[in-house]
Amino acid sequence: MKKFKYIIVLMIGAVLFTACDDFLDRQPTNSANSATSILDEADAKVAVNGLMRRMISTDYYGRNFIMYADAKGGDLAIRRSGRGLDALYTFSHTQQTNNYSGYWSDLYTTILQTNNIIANIEKIEAEGYTSSSLTHYKGQALTARALLYFDLVRIYGKPYTLDKGALGVPLVLDVPDASLQPLRDNVDAVYSQVVADLKAAEPMLVKTRQNGHINYYTNIAIQARVYLHMNNLSGALAAAETIINSGVYSLYTNEGWVTAWENEFGSESIFELSMRDNEGSLGTASLGYYLMALGKVTGASGQFMASGYFLDRLGEDPDDIRWALMDYDEASEPGNERMGACMKYVGGHALMGDKGANAGSANIKVIRLSEIYLIAAEAALTSNANKAADYLNAIRKRSPNLEPATAATITLDMILDEKSKELFAEGNRYWDMIRLGKPIEYDDEFNITASALTRDKIMDTKTFFKVILPIPQIEIDANPDMQQQQNPGY
Amino acid sequence: MFFALALLISSTALAQIKVTGTVTSAEDGSPASFATIVVKEMAGLRTTADIDGNYTLDRVPSNAVLVFSYVGFVTQEIPVEGRSLIHVALEPDHTRLEEVMVIAYGTATKGTFTGAASVVANEVLRDVPSISFENALGGKVPGLQISPMSGQPGSSSAIRVRGIGSMHASNEPLYVIDGVPVISGATGQLGDYIYTTNNAMNSVNPSDIESITVLKDAAASALYGSRAANGVILITTKRGKLGRPVVKFKASVGVTPDWAYNNWEPANSDEQIEMFYEKYHSTGLYHGETNEQASNRALVQLNNRFNKHGYDFTAPDHTIKSLTIGGPRAGKYFDWEDALFETGIYQTYDLSVSGASDMSNYYISMAYTNESGRIRVNEFDRITGRINFNQKVGKIAEFTTNASFAHSNKTGFNDTRNLYSNPFLQHRNLLFGLYWPTHYDTGEPYTLRYDSYAYNPLYYDNEWDNFSKTRRMALSETLTLNLMEGLVFKSILSFDNSRVRDHVYYSANHFNASSTNGRVVETFTEYTKLVSSSTLNFDRTFAQKHNVGLLVGFEAEESSTDFMRSEGKDLPTSALHTVSTAGVKDANAYSWGNSMVSVLSRAEYNFDNKYYVSGSFRRDGSSRLAPVTRWGNFWSVAGSWRIDKERFMSSVDFISSLRLRASYGVNGTLPTADFGWRSLSTYGNQYQGVPGSRISTVADENLRWETNYTTNLALEFGFLDQRITGSVELFNRDSKDLLQNVPISRVTGFATTLKNVGEINNKGIEIELYGEIIRTNDLTWGLGITASSVKSVVTKLYEGQDIIWWDPTGGDSNTRFIYREGESTLALYGFEYAGVERETGKPTWFLNNDKTPDLTVDGRPATYDFNNAEMVPYGSVHPKLYGGLHTNLTWKGLSVSLDFNYRIGGNIYDATGRDLIDDGYYACRVQAKEQYDFRWTPENKDGKYPQRLSIGSQHRLQRSSRDMNPADYIRLKTVNVGYTIPSKFTQVVRISNLRVYFSGLNLWTWAKHNVYDPEANAYGVKGFELPLAKTYTFGIDVTF
Repeated sequence: MKKFKYIIVLMIGAVLFTACDDFLDRQPTNSANSATSILDEADAKVAVNGLMRRMISTDYYGRNFIMYADAKGGDLAIRRSGRGLDALYTFSHTQQTNNYSGYWSDLYTTILQTNNIIANIEKIEAEGYTSSSLTHYKGQALTARALLYFDLVRIYGKPYTLDKGALGVPLVLDVPDASLQPLRDNVDAVYSQVVADLKAAEPMLVKTRQNGHINYYTNIAIQARVYLHMNNLSGALAAAETIINSGVYSLYTNEGWVTAWENEFGSESIFELSMRDNEGSLGTASLGYYLMALGKVTGASGQFMASGYFLDRLGEDPDDIRWALMDYDEASEPGNERMGACMKYVGGHALMGDKGANAGSANIKVIRLSEIYLIAAEAALTSNANKAADYLNAIRKRSPNLEPATAATITLDMILDEKSKELFAEGNRYWDMIRLGKPIEYDDEFNITASALTRDKIMDTKTFFKVILPIPQIEIDANPDMQQQQNPGY
Repeated sequence: MFFALALLISSTALAQIKVTGTVTSAEDGSPASFATIVVKEMAGLRTTADIDGNYTLDRVPSNAVLVFSYVGFVTQEIPVEGRSLIHVALEPDHTRLEEVMVIAYGTATKGTFTGAASVVANEVLRDVPSISFENALGGKVPGLQISPMSGQPGSSSAIRVRGIGSMHASNEPLYVIDGVPVISGATGQLGDYIYTTNNAMNSVNPSDIESITVLKDAAASALYGSRAANGVILITTKRGKLGRPVVKFKASVGVTPDWAYNNWEPANSDEQIEMFYEKYHSTGLYHGETNEQASNRALVQLNNRFNKHGYDFTAPDHTIKSLTIGGPRAGKYFDWEDALFETGIYQTYDLSVSGASDMSNYYISMAYTNESGRIRVNEFDRITGRINFNQKVGKIAEFTTNASFAHSNKTGFNDTRNLYSNPFLQHRNLLFGLYWPTHYDTGEPYTLRYDSYAYNPLYYDNEWDNFSKTRRMALSETLTLNLMEGLVFKSILSFDNSRVRDHVYYSANHFNASSTNGRVVETFTEYTKLVSSSTLNFDRTFAQKHNVGLLVGFEAEESSTDFMRSEGKDLPTSALHTVSTAGVKDANAYSWGNSMVSVLSRAEYNFDNKYYVSGSFRRDGSSRLAPVTRWGNFWSVAGSWRIDKERFMSSVDFISSLRLRASYGVNGTLPTADFGWRSLSTYGNQYQGVPGSRISTVADENLRWETNYTTNLALEFGFLDQRITGSVELFNRDSKDLLQNVPISRVTGFATTLKNVGEINNKGIEIELYGEIIRTNDLTWGLGITASSVKSVVTKLYEGQDIIWWDPTGGDSNTRFIYREGESTLALYGFEYAGVERETGKPTWFLNNDKTPDLTVDGRPATYDFNNAEMVPYGSVHPKLYGGLHTNLTWKGLSVSLDFNYRIGGNIYDATGRDLIDDGYYACRVQAKEQYDFRWTPENKDGKYPQRLSIGSQHRLQRSSRDMNPADYIRLKTVNVGYTIPSKFTQVVRISNLRVYFSGLNLWTWAKHNVYDPEANAYGVKGFELPLAKTYTFGIDVTF
C-alpha cells in the first residue's frame, strides 16, 4: 500500500508542479525576444552587423537606390522597356502604380533596426555600464539613421535648397508600436534631425578604418554631403577637409583606378558595404548585371546603359582612364561602337567581382574620397577658387588630355561634370541636379521601343512635381490620414 | 430498517431454493460471461455469471423474480415460480438509446447526452483497407467532411467539422485518444523539399479502435475549451471483454489495379500529333500565311521536336489528312502509362489477445501493414503494437496502462504540380508517346530533358530517393480511485512521442542537384507531448428522481518539437547517399513548443430521466498568448427533454422514443504560431561571415483566442419499436475575433501585424435516418442516410476590406480566393468566363464593369480581352448538401453492406485545366482527350473550348470560372461482404469464430463533371496529386 501512496503523491505532485507560471512561458530558440536581444557589447555588435546587411538590401544600396540617382539623373538610359526599373527613367509614378514603395518600406524597416540598437544601448548605459565599443556601435547606428533619413527625405521631400518648409518624411526615433500612424515632418525638421544625429555620433566613433562598417570619417563624409545639400558651404568644406587632411584615405592613382574595382576596400573607401555570396548578393539581378550589356554573360539583360550625354561628357577626353570600365553595349555596330555598359560592379572586365569569385556580388562603395574632393571643390568655389581648382584637379587629372582647371577657368558645371564622370553609376547625379535646380536632359532617342514617358525630354527640376516620389498606396491604406499629405500633383 | 428486517424474516419464512442456469445471447447463443443476476427487491441477493455464463444463486425465495442484465442486451425479469434450473437467452438491445458513448472526460448513454455527438463503431472501420481511420469516416458522421489530400499511401486528409471557422488559424479538429489530447496533423519536414504529407494518425492501427466519437456542438466540446472550436475527435481503443481470453487473427490482401475514376484521360498519340499539327497550322493561317506556309510551320515544329526520337513528318497536301509519319520508330509509341504505373498491393496482418476478469482487463495487439501505391516509387510500411492493461487493486484503486508503439516508413514521390518529379503529372501532361526512354539509334538510356519539362523517369527515378520514417511511442498511466459510491478520482499522466526522420537525395546526374553536384538532406523532427489530467467525478441519485453529476478537473499539457537538419552538397559518389561524404555541409537545429494549463468543470442534473440540464466551464491558459490575454473562459449550457417519457406520449404507440435537446456555448481556436504574440529578433542577417540580428516581427500583445459561439437544436426520434430512428440537428456557429494579418503603417518598419478582427458564420442542418426494413431472427436489412448542409459565410473583415488569398496547395496548381463580407468562406475569385464565340472560336469574358463591350453574351456585356474584364467572386466550393447512404443486410452468417458518399452542389476548381486543355498556349504539352474531343475548329463550331493557337495570348493562364466545374457526385465508397462460418464447423478446430470477407473501395462513381475524380482537397482545388484508386480486398478474421 505504501507503494501506491507514493505513486499517488507523484502524480498529484506532477500536476501541481506544472501549475506554476513558468510553465506557460515558452521561449523561441531560433529567435530572441526583441526587448532583450541587445544586452551587451556582443549583442550590439551582432545587431550592427545585421544593420549593415540590411543596408545592402535590393531597395537600398544593394541596387535600387543607386539606380534611382543615375536613371533619373540622365546619366543612364534604357534601350528597351520592360527589363526592370523602367519607371525610374520614364517617371510614370502614381500613388498606386510604379510608386516604388520598396524605398519607403525598406528604409523604414532599416530605420527600425537603428532605433532598436540606439534604444537598447541607451538602456544599457542607463544602468551605468558603458564601454568604448558600445559607444562606437551606438555611433554607427546614429550615423546610419542619419544617412537613412537623409536618403528618404531626398526621395520624398522637396530639395532643402528649394523648399525646406515642404513636407518631408515622418521622423520615428524609437522602436514604434504596431499601432503607430504618424504624419510627415517637414524637410527642415528631417535635416535638423539628420545633423543632430551626425553631430551626436561624431565623438562616439573610432577613427581607424572599419571595412564594411561606419567610422568617424564616414560620419564626417555624410556631414559633408548633407551640408552641401543644405547649401552650408563652409560646413561642407570643413568636413571634407577634415577627411582629406587626415591622411587615412588616399586617392587612387590613374593606374590604380581600374584595379580598385577588382578589389574590396580600396584606399578611397570611406564607407563601403560588403556584399558576399549568400549574404544578400542578387546574382543575375544585381547592380552589376543590370549595367552589363545585354547577353554579355548569361543573365545579363542590359537594363540600363550610359546615356549619350554621359558618353559625350566622358568623350571630352578619349584617353580618360574612366573609359577603362566601360564596355560595348547592344547598340554597338561594327565601326560604330557604343561603350555604354558599366563594369564597375562585376569586378571589371575579368568578371570575377571584387573578391575574385563571381560577377554577381561586388561591394557597394557608398562614399569614397573622390566625392569628398569634389564636394570640397564645390564648397570652396565661391570662397576660394584656387583651392576649389586644386581639389577639382586632383580628380580631373584622370582625364590626362584635359587642361587642369585654374581659379580663372573653374566653374560649377566643370565640378558637376567631373562628379558625373567619376561617380557614374554610383548613385549621385540626380541629387546634384535637383538640389541645384538644374534641368535634366534624357537620352530618349536611345530607346528603340516607344516607352510612355510622363516627363519632358528636358525636365525642369524646379517645377516638375514628379521630381519626388508619391507616398505609396500601401502606406495610405494603413495610415489614411497621410492621404492629406500626399505630395502635390499626385 | 425495521421494515427491511421484517421483509427479510418473512422471506426467510418462505421456501428457499437454489437456482442455477446459463445466460446466453439470443442472437448467437454465445455465453453472456459475467452477466449480473439480481433477485428483484432483494438488493443483497445477487450474483455474477461465470465465464461460460453459468450462475448459481442460493436461498432464492420460490416466488421471487430474477433480473438478468448484461451490457448491450435488454434486461429480462423472470419469475422463479419454484424452478431450480432457469436458462435465459437475452435479446440484444436495439433501442441504442442506452448505448454507452465516450464523451469529453467521461462516458454517457446516448439517450441522455445533451450535446451533439456522433459515434462510429469499430465494425464500420475494421474492413476498410486504409492506413488511417479517418478515411473511413466519410459519409458516416453528419456534419463531418473528409477531404483526401492525395491518393498516395500514408498521406493525410483534411477534416472539417461543421464548416470553416478560421481564416488564419487551424480548421482541423482536436484529436483525443483514450482521454488524452495527442499529436495530430501532418508531421515531418519532407514537405519542405517535395510536396507530400505524413499523417500523424497513421500511427494508430484502425483495428485497435473500439469507437470514435465526434463532438460537434459546444455542449459536447466546450470542455476542451480553447482547441474545441473545430470539433473534437475522441478515439477509444479496445479493452478486453469479460470472459475467456480471446485470440484474434486477421489477415487481408488488397489489390489496386486501377484508379477510382477518370483522371484527365489523355488523348492518344495520334490525336496528340493531330492537335500539334493543327495548332501550328491554324497559327500560320492566323498570321496570314498561305496553307503551304502554315503547314510547313507545323511540320518544322513537329520535326524539330520528334526527329531526334526517330520520327519524321511530311504533309504533301499541306493538310492534316495528308500528314504522314515516317522514321525508324514510325507506327510505334512508348507506353508511359504501363511504365510508370502498376497494380498496387495492400496487405495487413493483425494479431490480438484480450480478456478480462472482474479484477483485470487486457488487450494486446500487434499489426503489420504494407501498401504499395499505383506509382512505382511509392510505398508505405507500418508496424504497430499496443498494450492496454487495467488492474483493480483493493476495493478502491484501479490502474490503467495504455502503451502503443508504431513505426512507419513512407517512400514517396513529389505529389504536386511540381513539374520535375511527379510521375502522374509527367504522364498526363508532359510525356508524349513519341518520347522514348532510350535513344532510337544507340539504345542507350535517354538522359537529356525532353522538350518542355518532360524527363525520363525510368532513368531519373534511380537518381533520387526519399523516405520519411516515423516512430511513435505513446504511454499513458491512469489511476482511478473509487473513493465512495458515486465519487471517482481519476488522474492520467501521458507521454506521447513521435520522431520523424526525413531523407531526400538527388544525385549529381539529377537536374535538381546538378548545379550543386548532388544534394542530400536529412532531418529529424521529434514531437513530444506531456499531458497530466486529474478529475474528480461525482454521480448520485437523490430521492430516486434527482440525478446529479458533477465533475471538476485540472489539466496541464506541454508540447515540444525538436528539429535538426543536416544537408550535404557536392557528393563524391552516387553509391553513398549520406551527408558524411559531402564536400559542402550545412546544418540547422532548434526547437519550439507550447504549453497549456486548464481547470475544468461540468454539472449535470436530470429529473426522473426526463428533463436534463447540464453546464460546463473551462478556463485555459496558453503559452501562445501574452500573459495579459493568456487566460480564456469557455463554457456551455444545454438541456434535453425525453418527450417519450411523458405520460401523454404513452398512448402514441408508434413513437418509441422522442427527445428534444438544445445547447449554447463558447469555445475557441488558438493562434497557430507558438510565439505570435512576441516581438522577435532573428539572426539570419549574416554580414561579412559573422551573424547579424534584426527585429523580425512586431507583435500585438493583445492577441487573443479566436472564439466560437455555437447554438445547437436537435430532435431525436424513434418509431415502431426503434425500427426507424433518426435525428435532425440545426446549428449556428459564429466565429469571432478571427486572426487576420492587418496592414499597418510601413513607418513602423513592418507591413502587417496579426490582429483579432474577422468574423465568420456557419449555419446548417444535419439529418440522420436509419430504418430496419426487415428484422427477423435470420434476416435483417437496414437502410440509413446522412445529409448535411452548411452555409459558411464571411461576415466581417478588417475595415470591410476584401482579402485575396491563394489556397496553400503548392506551386501554381493553386487558385485565387477572396474573403469578402457576405461571400462564402471558399469563394473563388477571378475573371468570369463567357465561353467560346461560335463563329470565331475566340474565348470571351464577361466584363463586369462599365467598359465598352466588344460583344454581348447571354445579354450581358462581354469582351475578347480578359484585361478589360473585372475580377469577381464567381463561385463557391462549399456543397449544398453532402453525406452518405448506407445499407446492410445480414442473413444467418452472411453480411453485406454498402456505403455511398455523395455531394450535391458546390464547385471544384480544376487547376490542371490550364495545362491539360491549354488552347495551344504551351509549346509541347500532352493534352487531355477532353481537349481533343471538344476543341473549336472551323469544322466543329460547336466545340466548347477555344481554337487552339500559338499566338502568345495569355488568356489560358488566367484563373477564371472557365476551370470551375460542378462537384456533384455519388460514390460507392465501400462494399463489404462477410461470411461467418457456422461455429459447429469451426469448433472442431477450436476456432470460436471464423469470418471471411471481401471489401471493395471506391468501386463505382458517378460524377456530374466526368473528367476527373470528384473528391477534391479541402479547398476544392484539383491539382496533379495522386488520384484515389479502386482497391479490392480479401480478408480472413479468426477468433480463437
